[in-house]
Amino acid sequence: MKRLRDVAILTPLIACLAFYLAQAPIQAASKAATPTQTAQPASTQDSPGSKSYSTNCAICHGDNREGILPAFPPLLGIQHHLTDPQISEIIQKGKDRMPGFPDIKGDEMSSLLHYLASADPSAATAVPGAKSTSQSSGLADAGGALFLQNCAFCHGRDTMGGESGPDLTRSKVVLADVNGDQISQVVHEGRPEKKMPAFNFSAPEMQSLVAFIHARAALAASNPGGRRGVDVSDLQTGNAEAGKQYFTGAGGCSQCHSPTGDLAGVAKRFEGLELEQRMLYPRGARSKVTVTLPSGQQMNGTLAYLDEFVVALRDAKGTYHSWQIANVKYNVNSPVEAHVNQFSKYTDADIHNLMAYLQTLR
Amino acid sequence: MKLRKDASALAIMAILFLAAGPIHLAAQNLDPANLLKPPADSWPLYHGDYSGKRHSSLSQITPQNVANLSLAWAFQTNQGAQIKSSPLLVDGVLFFTVPDNIWAVDARSGHQIWHYNRPSKGEHIGHRGVAMYKGWLYFTTPDCHLISLNAKDGSVHWDKQFADPNQGYWSTMAPLVVGNHIIAGVSGDFDNLVGYLRSFDPETGETQWQWNSTPPAGTPNATTGGMTWMTGTYDPELNLIYWGTGNPTPVLNGQTRPGDDPYTCSIVAINPDTGKLAWGFQVSPHDTHDWDAVETPVLVDADFHGKPRKMLMQSSRNGFFFVLDRVTGQSLLTVPYGPVNWNLGIDKQGRPIPDPAKEPAPDGRFIAPDEGGMTNYRAPSFDPKTGLFIVDAHPSYSIYFAKPADGTYGWAGADYGLWGKGVIEAIDYQTGKIRWSHELGPGGSGAGVLTTDSGLTITGDAFGSVLALNTSDGKTLWHAGMGDPMQSSPITYQLDGRQYILTSSGGVLFAWALPQPTPASLHSQARGN
Repeated sequence: MKRLRDVAILTPLIACLAFYLAQAPIQAASKAATPTQTAQPASTQDSPGSKSYSTNCAICHGDNREGILPAFPPLLGIQHHLTDPQISEIIQKGKDRMPGFPDIKGDEMSSLLHYLASADPSAATAVPGAKSTSQSSGLADAGGALFLQNCAFCHGRDTMGGESGPDLTRSKVVLADVNGDQISQVVHEGRPEKKMPAFNFSAPEMQSLVAFIHARAALAASNPGGRRGVDVSDLQTGNAEAGKQYFTGAGGCSQCHSPTGDLAGVAKRFEGLELEQRMLYPRGARSKVTVTLPSGQQMNGTLAYLDEFVVALRDAKGTYHSWQIANVKYNVNSPVEAHVNQFSKYTDADIHNLMAYLQTLR
Repeated sequence: MKLRKDASALAIMAILFLAAGPIHLAAQNLDPANLLKPPADSWPLYHGDYSGKRHSSLSQITPQNVANLSLAWAFQTNQGAQIKSSPLLVDGVLFFTVPDNIWAVDARSGHQIWHYNRPSKGEHIGHRGVAMYKGWLYFTTPDCHLISLNAKDGSVHWDKQFADPNQGYWSTMAPLVVGNHIIAGVSGDFDNLVGYLRSFDPETGETQWQWNSTPPAGTPNATTGGMTWMTGTYDPELNLIYWGTGNPTPVLNGQTRPGDDPYTCSIVAINPDTGKLAWGFQVSPHDTHDWDAVETPVLVDADFHGKPRKMLMQSSRNGFFFVLDRVTGQSLLTVPYGPVNWNLGIDKQGRPIPDPAKEPAPDGRFIAPDEGGMTNYRAPSFDPKTGLFIVDAHPSYSIYFAKPADGTYGWAGADYGLWGKGVIEAIDYQTGKIRWSHELGPGGSGAGVLTTDSGLTITGDAFGSVLALNTSDGKTLWHAGMGDPMQSSPITYQLDGRQYILTSSGGVLFAWALPQPTPASLHSQARGN
């Protein structure tokens, strides 16, 4: 009885809520999905699968299966990660925001699946010089829109570097990537140490992004003039002898480093900009910490975390320990701070000379 | 008995339900006069008021009781974009944004009233928030539309495109409302484009005026750029808006744009009725390091060296703290607030003189601060009681490259950050001396700053904690981990006698307040428990 009464009380509230939802703006799907005027080649345009696609799917997934990201995923290449039975189940039952289309079955379903598995007709007009991969230019276009929204601010609209982000056409990750195996990891996990955030893209989104980045890298490789970025040859203006003097003298480098010890062969391991960046500040250098507990016991290890409130270390066995700073005493030994202390003393010539010297350590 | 109680509850709810409609309809209406002196139960402008001080007169939360501060509610946007906006609060409803999205949220409970989403192409780097005029909200989009919406339900009132995203423009900023002007700016420094401010009619969206930062693209030996991507401030007595402009383009190569490149990297004073420039002050003449001067132009009326002044203060991205007379635009003080190595002294007008040897070069130039700058878009705060200008500073070093092959379009070079850290600095505005500093951690924090009359400074650290510091000495009085560093500027308001502090982390908005007795705790107190 009580329950029934609560329902009676709730009903007008639900009605009120429904009224509000009805008043709320409809997610601008219809507007965003205004069909583009790109014509399809006659061969696929006339097939029954294509017609079914145009009638049922194109409004959200785009006239050419390119998607409307971030809201609606591209369907180009969908056969690479979903089987036909999986695709037909989604079509019939819907998924997340996508409604089901139970009336699509039999021959229509077969022809639609056939159409969805067909190659991208716009692939014929792929970026000149692009590597021939399974990724198509329609997919790359979809990835381009996604890239512009999420990545271009740091990596530049052309992927060749922007505010704080490196040129991706020269990136080791991109050059080593095969169908997204490297890129997707970096994108999904981010690079916290370099302030790159993690992005939670869906598989189709990631696929389109990878296609776009590869298309841009291929274009850049085919057009070597006019590229931004730093070549090894740019960093050869220093004097190695003066650099050696700085290393042992004013720079104080030899207090921690040795050309025959830790830096022996360093120029074989790193070159160009990467060597210069590591020379000026080696990111990820470890600090040691000793924590004294209230009992007087001391714990030693690699500093794992330190803010105003908590200190943590990883001990020799790899185990993580943390303490409230109010409860312990701690002492950090951070040799990398010497690099920070040097910043206010460098001239540009010091850096170029030091770079010339390090490049002799082969 | 029970039945009667339930019946009366039903009656009360029915009355509430019937009453809710009309009351609700009357609300969410911002009288433009309130913008001149915002009530304590509101935050009706991006900066809270026209001065940009981000200082609140509220004093319920104090250095003595802040240790008890706790979570009143959190609002989860359930999407990936970080909150970089300052919410508006009008009639108990908060309005805040990420690119393409606005949420209207009950400021008492943190529950959603409505959500507006409009997918768009274009840069989705961040969004600063909405502006409000009477019952209308104003929202900029990545594809450069200015959209007016009904604050009651988020329905679109009008929609005007004010720049072409295909040319490389985008927009992130919260417009400024002055009288019957909605003033919006643009972003876009990956292309050689002219920056501008445009004023719109609040009812129709018609353009009232446009002020351009630079000459038209293609003018020989002239710069482009000067994007207007942050919200300015306003002095009603002088009837001038104050706005910061962004870097010149091409960005790292200054050869095609010899000279100072006005009005890029500048603070400009503009008449909001006509769009005419009253004065301009370049904080970075001939910039080649991407140091936008869009940080808040903070308006302070106080003594400077014994004489009452109408001042403008900016902690600029280029590493210098500026105090100007905002009537004339004359410099009163120019002093670095962290390591800078790119200038040859200060000129007679109080402007840093750029060192030609520190322009980006093929073999690299070692530059402090880095491209993100000594501070960035998150707001500083001015505390009138202590005379401290409190800013989230970012001492940092980097290397800048440019060579002929990089061309003269857009970025035209490359730069790489090496190292940086975050420090809250409390600057004495009369001397530029740093009275106290508070380390925030490696990399930097990115949080803005809020001060209150009770002597609190609210900000965040590099690890994801929100911090309450003592404004007099910078010591931490309270903190709470939010999960990810704050990328917005905190706000505060008082509703029903309870003061709230709003911060953000990732896609979550947090409301902090002193604990409030619940009916159960009151009951147990009454029973002597």
